[in-house]
Amino acid sequence: MTPFSLILENVRHDLRASDGKLAIMTQAALIFFLLTLSLSSASVQQYLAKNLLQMLGSDLVIEQHGTLTAEQEAKIRAAAPKVSKTELVGITLTHGPNWERVQLKQVDDAYPLQGTLMVGSSPAAEKTPAAKGPGIGEIWLGPRLATKLEASVGDQISLAGTAHTVTAILFHEPDRIMEGHSVAYRAMIKAGSAAPDAFDTSGRRQRFLIEADTEARTSLEAWTKENLPAATLIKKQGGRHPLAGFWKRTENFLGLASVILFFMAAVAMDMTNRRWLVQMRYRLSLYSSFGISSSTVLTMAGLQWFIGFMLSLGVAGIFTVAAHYFIVGELQAFFPGIEGGWSGDAVAKTVMLTFGLLLALQVPALIQLKRASILDLIRSAPEGAYTWLRLLWGLIAVSGLAAAYSDNLLLTGLMLGAIGMALVLMIFLTWATVAVGDKWGAGRAGFVPFAFFFMRQRLFAKSAQVLGLGLCALLLLFTLMLMRDLSGMMESYARHHDGNLLVSEAQSDQMADIEAWAKKTGSDFKQLRPFVSAKLIRVNELALADYMKKPSDTLSTLKRPIRLSWSEQMPTNNTLSGGTWWPSDTRDWQQISTEPEVMTDLGLSYGDTLTYQINGRSYSFTLVASHSYKPGGGSITFWFQVPTAARAQIEADTRFMGSMELPETAWSELAALWQQHPTLSLVSLRELTERLDNMLGLVIKLTSGYAAMVLLLAMFVLIASSKGFEADDQRKNGLLMSMGLKRGDCLKLSTYDWAITAIIAATGAVAGTWIAGQLMYEAQFGLAYKPDPLWIGGTIGLMVMAVCGVGVLTCMRSLTTSVRDLLAT
Amino acid sequence: MQDKIELRKISHHFDTTAEQIILFRDLALEIKTGEIISIVGPSGAGKSSLLSIAAGLEKPANGSVHFNIDGSEVDELALRANSGFIFQQFHLMPELDALSNLALPLRLKGNRNAFNIAAAWLEKVGLQDRAKHRPHQLSGGEQQRIAIARAFVSEPRFIFADEPTGNLDMKTSENVAGLMFDFARDSGCGLVIVTHSMRLAMLADKSLQLSDRKLEAIK
Ligand SMILES: Nc1ncnc2c1ncn2[C@@H]1O[C@H](COP(=O)(O)OP(=O)(O)O)[C@@H](O)[C@H]1O
Ligand SMILES: [Mg+2]
Repeated sequence: MTPFSLILENVRHDLRASDGKLAIMTQAALIFFLLTLSLSSASVQQYLAKNLLQMLGSDLVIEQHGTLTAEQEAKIRAAAPKVSKTELVGITLTHGPNWERVQLKQVDDAYPLQGTLMVGSSPAAEKTPAAKGPGIGEIWLGPRLATKLEASVGDQISLAGTAHTVTAILFHEPDRIMEGHSVAYRAMIKAGSAAPDAFDTSGRRQRFLIEADTEARTSLEAWTKENLPAATLIKKQGGRHPLAGFWKRTENFLGLASVILFFMAAVAMDMTNRRWLVQMRYRLSLYSSFGISSSTVLTMAGLQWFIGFMLSLGVAGIFTVAAHYFIVGELQAFFPGIEGGWSGDAVAKTVMLTFGLLLALQVPALIQLKRASILDLIRSAPEGAYTWLRLLWGLIAVSGLAAAYSDNLLLTGLMLGAIGMALVLMIFLTWATVAVGDKWGAGRAGFVPFAFFFMRQRLFAKSAQVLGLGLCALLLLFTLMLMRDLSGMMESYARHHDGNLLVSEAQSDQMADIEAWAKKTGSDFKQLRPFVSAKLIRVNELALADYMKKPSDTLSTLKRPIRLSWSEQMPTNNTLSGGTWWPSDTRDWQQISTEPEVMTDLGLSYGDTLTYQINGRSYSFTLVASHSYKPGGGSITFWFQVPTAARAQIEADTRFMGSMELPETAWSELAALWQQHPTLSLVSLRELTERLDNMLGLVIKLTSGYAAMVLLLAMFVLIASSKGFEADDQRKNGLLMSMGLKRGDCLKLSTYDWAITAIIAATGAVAGTWIAGQLMYEAQFGLAYKPDPLWIGGTIGLMVMAVCGVGVLTCMRSLTTSVRDLLAT
Repeated sequence: MQDKIELRKISHHFDTTAEQIILFRDLALEIKTGEIISIVGPSGAGKSSLLSIAAGLEKPANGSVHFNIDGSEVDELALRANSGFIFQQFHLMPELDALSNLALPLRLKGNRNAFNIAAAWLEKVGLQDRAKHRPHQLSGGEQQRIAIARAFVSEPRFIFADEPTGNLDMKTSENVAGLMFDFARDSGCGLVIVTHSMRLAMLADKSLQLSDRKLEAIK
């Protein structure tokens, strides 16, 4: 028998008690979440890095929407020894009765520059390398596409009137990275295999894969910046992955999530600690009464804590493995080929940090334990003097570690600032409420004054409880709000359309055929708007990338060409939300109107100059008005609109966007229309909503996982807080009953007590959430902060009810036990 | 040579915001192994404080305390390693059964035979058939019997008991006190017992009364 077996036995006993379980569960939950987060995030980062190195397919890539002029192309070819030109275009492929929207790549003889193509004879066949792309008259289909079209090697597919034979299934293209997180169906043909004008669409992109030495790379880079402001350039060395921006935003959110969880766990731990401390103190005083030295006793306490930590780590580890592989599986849709590896660095860093955090939270407790003495067993020990020190220390330790953990110092700082302000407010409110309430109740009889009197007696304990609950409510509220707004933002993309087929893009010369087809099949046009494809390149003479540094959805959309429409009058499905719309017959064509969200996201004001590149030329417009979508009158609306007079000044093909209502019989006729015009982009709304639903599904899955975690920790806090104060409650109730109060009265008193606690905590939480929202929404998430008072009120109401409910339940339990206690002594 | 605790000219007081509570002044006391000393006195007189000072848990405001063990003077930590306590509230570990409670001090000191020795002591206090019972399943008297055995089990030189029968009825008190005195005489340790009961106090070798800030021998 050695003290070590005794330590193990103590751990076992503690685990049997609800406090011990709660502490281990909280620790495990925190470790689990942080581990999963950092592992998944390390996987993504690893993927991005590897992806950039292996999958660029060349040293340098220049990609441009539209086509480059002959001189521009000649310049690129002259600058580098090896260049491959590919063109990408979105078209619809048909095979028998099946049709599918496809990303078609037209490649030249030089393709691929670096890396290898992998092909096979069927989607399930073995992958074999291919040195070159398809030949004239051949088409290669991606495996998913082949399955979807029910096409196999040897089949014929008609492309803009030219027959192509499927000669291979295309598994891998070395320049895959350029597709980003697109999961579009893919096909490949030889450039020139189909008529050159067959693919004239605004979605058309040219891509140059370039192999060049450092010098050539630098000069090409400078030349591109100067001459092709709308082009995207990606380099292998020292370059950033095109998805890095998207991932950074996600990481911002995840970083904040971890900081929030840190705090939640800290609050729960502090509350369980309070009781663990009392128990440990008792145990240790007894041990020293047996003549054991205090250093032995402290070592035992430390070891016991360490075993608890290792236990939590083990439990968390098991769950982490499962969750990590699940998340990586889900991420496959965004990052094809991502691997769920174990990053030793990430694991070590997270484990060390959580260890540090939990240990830091333990320090004040250990100091208090050091003061445990046999005297406590002779006289009852004083408590409370160190409460403030403990709270303060906890706050500092957690803040420091949160800052160390999160990469985004600004975001962490903002969150900590908001939390700090809310805490100060809550302390003030607690003291003010109790002081005023006590004063008010001094000359009065009744339960409410009595409740205040009691709270004043236990002001320290009460403040700790209010702070804990308030902090927890603040974090919960903020998280829920942020998630709700993020998914709300995504959902708002799915506007309600009328009509069941969206003509997302048609060229002028296709319109006649579409109209003829519509007449024949009995389909109706609901709406039809013209546009040209334009890319915003400068704001007030500053390049867009320099003008806007922080990532937002608006910005990522604006990195691609958008649709610029024109209109004399305000369209029927728009309303003016600011500025002045131009008069119907204005001659001043350089005016523009945009949506308010775009203005907020880009920080635009009226009078700013927006410069677009349209078909290779620059056009500038002055921002004069903003318009927003109004339901009814069709769903098609544009971010940017200019006067009709501008159309005459712009040299580019007019394209159309509109919506149609198809009778059930017309759907089967669609294939004929597409065979005629493969680039015609028609989206059935069923399909559109399906795509959005898939995307939303993933976001909702991830955020609900997180919400579940936060709720779990919040529940731990609530249980810990009610348990931690159960002993107090019991003593108070025993006393009151011995003074002749009835059980119902005690219950009433407790209810008031809890209600006051909950209301103060809720006020602090709302204020903190408001501050946090003000500080963070715009700057970090590109969201406009518009809190919904009804929603906040409702959520707070629910929280107050939950807190009171649990409080009253605990009180009822402590009432029955205190009766028994009174009998026992 | 006999082990010994010597209190010389000690005074003690507590400072509160309102007043100074003076417990005693210039008090002397000698505690030797093989001797049973009882201290009586009204509540609040300072009996517990005196016991704490004698056990080296607290330092007196004035005066000096000397601990002699195995012929040399030692500090209070060394004394602590050689003393045991019996409390009014018993203070058994609620999560441990009777036998484990008894074995606890031995196990803490790394004794490999802890459970066998504990079982023997359990028999000495007549509770061998309650070995697997937890404290809440035992009466006050039974709990205190275990607490007493626990204090003696690691064979300390001194045992300090603060009102060990304060929570027990008369009959149980006598039974429990009898056990305590027998064990003390058998082991030859020094026992200091603070009590309310004059009857119990008179059974000791030496009885002292603490009142009016003075300590007087009454036996
Ligand atoms: N930490 C303390 N601070 C202030 N007064 C104390 C403290 N501990 C004990 N006292 C006071 O000292 C007096 C003696 O206490 P104690 O030694 O426990 O007496 P007894 O054991 O004889 O009842 C009591 O009046 C008590 O109120
Ligand atoms: Mg006393």
